[in-house]
Amino acid sequence: MAFRSKDFLKWCDEVLEGILRKSPVGSGIDYVTKDFFNWATRNSLYYLHFGIMCCALEMAVASAPRFDAQRMGVIARSTPRQVDILIVNGPVSKKLKPALRRLYDQMPEPKWVIAMGECAISGGPFYNSYSVVPGVDQFIPVDIYIPGCPARPEALIDAFIKLQKMIKDNKKGLLTGK
Amino acid sequence: MAEMWINMGPQHPMTHGLWNLRIKVDGETIIDAEPEVGYLHRGIEKLCESKTYTQIIPIADRLCYGASLSWSHLYCVTVEDLLGLEVPPRAEYIRVAALEMQRIASHLMWLAAYAADLGAMIGFIYSMRDREVFIDLLQALSGSRITYNFPRFGGVAHDIPPNFERDSLRACDYMEKRLKEYEDLYEGSKVFMLRNEGVGLLKKEDAMNLGVTGPSLRASGVRYDLRKDMPYSVYQELDFEPATHKDGDCYARFKVRMDEMYESCKIIRQAVTKMPKGKWRTLAPRNAPEGTGLGRVEDPRGEGVMYVVGDGTDRPYRLKIRSPIFVTVSAAPKMLIGYKIADVVAIMGGLDMCIGESDR
Amino acid sequence: MAERGKSTGRPEEGLERAPSRIGEDPEERVIRALLDGFPNTVTDFKKLRKGVLRAKIERRELYKACKLLKDSLGFEHLSMISAVEYDSGFELVYHIVSYQERLLLELVTTTPKDDPSVDSISSIWGGANWQERESYDLMGIKFNNHPKLERILLPKDYVYHPLRKDFKG
Repeated sequence: MAFRSKDFLKWCDEVLEGILRKSPVGSGIDYVTKDFFNWATRNSLYYLHFGIMCCALEMAVASAPRFDAQRMGVIARSTPRQVDILIVNGPVSKKLKPALRRLYDQMPEPKWVIAMGECAISGGPFYNSYSVVPGVDQFIPVDIYIPGCPARPEALIDAFIKLQKMIKDNKKGLLTGK
Repeated sequence: MAEMWINMGPQHPMTHGLWNLRIKVDGETIIDAEPEVGYLHRGIEKLCESKTYTQIIPIADRLCYGASLSWSHLYCVTVEDLLGLEVPPRAEYIRVAALEMQRIASHLMWLAAYAADLGAMIGFIYSMRDREVFIDLLQALSGSRITYNFPRFGGVAHDIPPNFERDSLRACDYMEKRLKEYEDLYEGSKVFMLRNEGVGLLKKEDAMNLGVTGPSLRASGVRYDLRKDMPYSVYQELDFEPATHKDGDCYARFKVRMDEMYESCKIIRQAVTKMPKGKWRTLAPRNAPEGTGLGRVEDPRGEGVMYVVGDGTDRPYRLKIRSPIFVTVSAAPKMLIGYKIADVVAIMGGLDMCIGESDR
Repeated sequence: MAERGKSTGRPEEGLERAPSRIGEDPEERVIRALLDGFPNTVTDFKKLRKGVLRAKIERRELYKACKLLKDSLGFEHLSMISAVEYDSGFELVYHIVSYQERLLLELVTTTPKDDPSVDSISSIWGGANWQERESYDLMGIKFNNHPKLERILLPKDYVYHPLRKDFKG
């Protein structure tokens, strides 16, 4: 059986998907490991180094000595390929909208979005400006909203805890997605 | 050779705020650079034409969130110039004390981000911890951590809380001890000094021509500080020296900002001990006369200017804002050409950019 | 605080003289040099407060006046370029600063409504480059001989000029 590399990859995908996803072997592995992977995911959420405006200062302070967010396992990473959470913390202007959508698309599953501050929820003090998108949930699905202008660092840590509880309540197997 | 354009941004851990730096590299060396701003444009100048004068004070806070008290103070100074309003002396002293605390907090925020970018995470942790001391004082004064909404036309919003003088003097003593520790920490580190000395040279004539102001200008040898040379508020009665350095490289800008923190501690001590008793606010009329007003202050990042045109109603006809970072970023190509890609972080970090004010 | 005084440019009215200085006030020197160089086109001098002067100039003389200010009068720093729209036309306000003499000069020019264009001074002061691009972007004022007059704050394909009074966002 001589395969060219493209055909080989396609064969790998089909066979592995057949074994792992559609057959009882996959759901068996999921059943055994679901709790473990869920525990690992929710206790090591990484967020993206992405600061737009004032609430970004409070996001930076949340990793500072006084309001230590690393106790929850939350660390900032620089590239979207390695993160689980995207925190949007400022008003999104029309020039930024395609870049932000592309960042969201580059994140691997499973991913969550937190809208921090009034500007990300609904446009904030600039809602009737000609160049601000009124709310980030117009083009990105949002999981947690944090009110406040600016939102205090304690509110952000509370949001992480609520997100962890949300992940714990919706346990899904990694292979089959159920 | 291998010449290509590289995009650094808009999302990049070095860029505090969102802007795009396109550099043309030949191997590792930079031959051309082109910054792109505008990702944070909120249309504030148009927004201000439909709000009353008092409603713009919290919006002026959100222009530059690193030093927000400085911008709402600048707006109040501009409108007081238009109205011809006198500010009582107690309010001036409260304003000066709060402004210098904001200056220290802003420089500590810069130091935290700068150290984190250059790899010294310990600098980030120490600076953030010390910044909390001043943020606590400002929170006791105004009620909020970063966007204060504290100055008003004709004074400040309310009087100082009890024990403010004792707490500020303690904070200044604490800060001066910590600044000595920072000097040992940063200047004793060979890697930090190698990455900063001789990098990003900006000569005196170029700095003056390109409109660079603030600590970057004083690091190139021009001894010009708005608080000393065209004084506003009560700065002519206080005793301090503007910090200068003659080299014009990244280390010079670092040293100027550290020295400015020493001077700010001196100013806070004088301001809280010399504070006279009296009123802290005079009421301002609702409608502004026709005419123009100009305000210029020394922001922690440079020279901030605002120009307001009034037309007899209670909304401004035109409000124009000059942001120091907008002009300093345009001078970036002069500082970048000839250095390597790894130097971009040190050079652009040393300019202390807060893109919120640049894009308005 | 600063007081507002107005004078018409003649040295006898209301300008205080420092006793140790020999010669004239720096503001006087600037006013005299501008009046000598541009006798009819620079008008309406006002002293707003200590160290701040205001003058009106016609737009065709702007480039030469700025060159004179930089080369012989020592104004090293261009601080701000603002554009204001009135019913009768556009008004451009230039704030130029001299570090040595501690002076600020506010130069005002007007352009008619249907031809909002003026000469660019970015070859005199490099700091004017981005400020002129911003005035073009938001208010639509064209600067002749500008090296790269493009949009800077708004997306490149945006059509309107938002700060004009007839733009309703």
